[in-house]
Amino acid sequence: MIASLLPRNLRRTLAGQLLALAIALALGAVVILMIDENPLRVFATLMRGAFGDSEKIAGTLLQTTPILICGVAACIGLRGGMFNVGIEGQLFLGGFAAAWVGFSFALPPVLHVLVAVAAAVAAGAAWVSVPAYFRVRFGANEVVSTILANYVAVLLTSYFTIFLFKRPGGWSETPPILPSAYLPELFSFSRLNIGLLIGLALAVATALFFRFTTTGYAVTMVGSAPKFAEYGGINVRRAGFGVLLASGAVGGLAGGVETLGVHHRFMEGFAPGFGFDGLIAALLANGSPIGTIFTALFFGALRAGSLLLEVDTTASREIITVIQALIILAVSADLLLRRKGDRTGGRRWKF
Amino acid sequence: MKTFARLLAAGIVLAASSLPSLAADKVHVAAISGYFAQGFGVSIVNGLNKAKDDFGIDLKLVDTGNRSLDYEEQFANLAKSGEYDLIFVMGWELVDALQKVSAQYPNQRFIFIDGVLDSKSMIYANFAEEQGSFIAGALAGMVEDLGPSFDKIGSGKAIGFVGGRDIPVIRNFLGGYEQGVKYAAPDVKVNAVFAGTFDDPAKGSELAQTLYGQGADIVYNVAGPTGEGVMQASAAADKYSLGVDIDMCSSAPGNVLASMLKRGDVAVYSIIKDEVQGKKVQPGTRTFDLASGGVEVKLCDDVAAKLPQAIKDKLETLRQDVIAGKITIAKAK
Repeated sequence: MIASLLPRNLRRTLAGQLLALAIALALGAVVILMIDENPLRVFATLMRGAFGDSEKIAGTLLQTTPILICGVAACIGLRGGMFNVGIEGQLFLGGFAAAWVGFSFALPPVLHVLVAVAAAVAAGAAWVSVPAYFRVRFGANEVVSTILANYVAVLLTSYFTIFLFKRPGGWSETPPILPSAYLPELFSFSRLNIGLLIGLALAVATALFFRFTTTGYAVTMVGSAPKFAEYGGINVRRAGFGVLLASGAVGGLAGGVETLGVHHRFMEGFAPGFGFDGLIAALLANGSPIGTIFTALFFGALRAGSLLLEVDTTASREIITVIQALIILAVSADLLLRRKGDRTGGRRWKF
Repeated sequence: MKTFARLLAAGIVLAASSLPSLAADKVHVAAISGYFAQGFGVSIVNGLNKAKDDFGIDLKLVDTGNRSLDYEEQFANLAKSGEYDLIFVMGWELVDALQKVSAQYPNQRFIFIDGVLDSKSMIYANFAEEQGSFIAGALAGMVEDLGPSFDKIGSGKAIGFVGGRDIPVIRNFLGGYEQGVKYAAPDVKVNAVFAGTFDDPAKGSELAQTLYGQGADIVYNVAGPTGEGVMQASAAADKYSLGVDIDMCSSAPGNVLASMLKRGDVAVYSIIKDEVQGKKVQPGTRTFDLASGGVEVKLCDDVAAKLPQAIKDKLETLRQDVIAGKITIAKAK
């Protein structure tokens, strides 16, 4: 069963990715030589920063968690033919909603977490419901409307944070949430929490859902061949609406996991870019939730490793960003994977 | 400025005289912030680089970026090896990560710039912005009091203030400013507004235009990037503005009266100097005020040339009085 969850042309993909990585490292080495630093030392530091000891590995997994959950949110959309670019906004709204429940109400420990997570999920779904409605009712392009919703979400949460719920002092943050709303941490030495397990379970559950349930099959059909699906008696509009809502709900969950598990409060601009990282991770994995686990881990390692890179080498943040971009670019080039005539029937997502 | 030159000279002499011991144990300094590219952050970097040139310290700058998830690891990466004698930190969004890591590495000396926190194990570089703002207020009040006899001044007897957000540190600027006006020109009125954001130049411009429209002739900008708009508005309305943090005379030449400088460079330089000279920097608060040259009001040359000598003399007297403690300025914090 596990084998059937993996993409069919996995071996080929892996070989292509390794080749791509080699090219990226070579290009990166050129950049590093230009700033008079030793490429081997830089790459070794990058690896040490990502996997050097148990704390570093936990740091990598900590970075992976939001990317993974956002990635699963994107996968759900891609499978159903919906390009949800608004995960970033759903993450912000979800994060704020969870924090609000966390600091406003006093509830018993487990219940508090559940209510806060539910609020995050509801906020994410609610935030995408407007673009989703316009998509299925009037055919408004969901890419445009969800991107625009991101700006509103970020500014709206800033407004909430600064004007309505500000913690006194120089901070642009809400008050801290109550300890009863904390997601349990996995280890004593890291902020890594059960959010990672939630993400992993979600990825596997999503993969199983699309693989083994009738609804999952129907959604995949709506995504890849909407006319065929409609002919087969599926309510394409309702399916599309449901897909976007589910995708938004998971996006909101990603934000909730960040505030409840890591930051224990909401701050203005608290996690910029994770929604987009997740989207890229999902696209790299070709919309496969299981594949997204690995691509998210790759992104997480790259991000965590870079943090040590800046401290231990002379490479500046700008250079590190360039190296990161080169690696991502090369990996996404998919050298040996031919999409055209792919047995899955081409790209799953449509604009 | 003079104070700084003196500090510098003293530093060079000292560095030269203690060279052998320096080579033996070099001082390692790191600085971490997300603002090294703008305003006050640039001033800090200037001070660090000056210290590097003068004392030959080992300097590491770390840009935090803007992801709050990263901050804690970034601090831990710096503190873990114990390699750095001093780590300078600037930015309130870093505070929680800073306090956590500081508790984890109690022997690591962190210096938080521009604020005072609860933790007893840290060093705080605090600025007496109320003192600088007092002088700025006195200047603005006296110039406004000149009335239409001075270029671009009306007879409204009002001046303005545009703050970023309504937070304690900005209130402290406003408090000093108001006290300065009250002291030097009691019948000039201060109209204060807050933009509610530090990142919206358009709003800053709009608010300043409104203040000018209501008869204010001089507006004090304490609003970070929002304040860029205030400076632009002063040029558009052909009135006066007062800059903050760094020298802003060039942002609207002819329309900027002066800038209230918060000398981040002076603060980091003098702290590093103590450390290099063997006076180990101890936890506690260090206040950088008019006396130590940490805050100062710098007149813009073009306007200063037109300013009556009496006002300049009065400003200098006030400065001396504040330093001598003859005038006490209430803090809003």
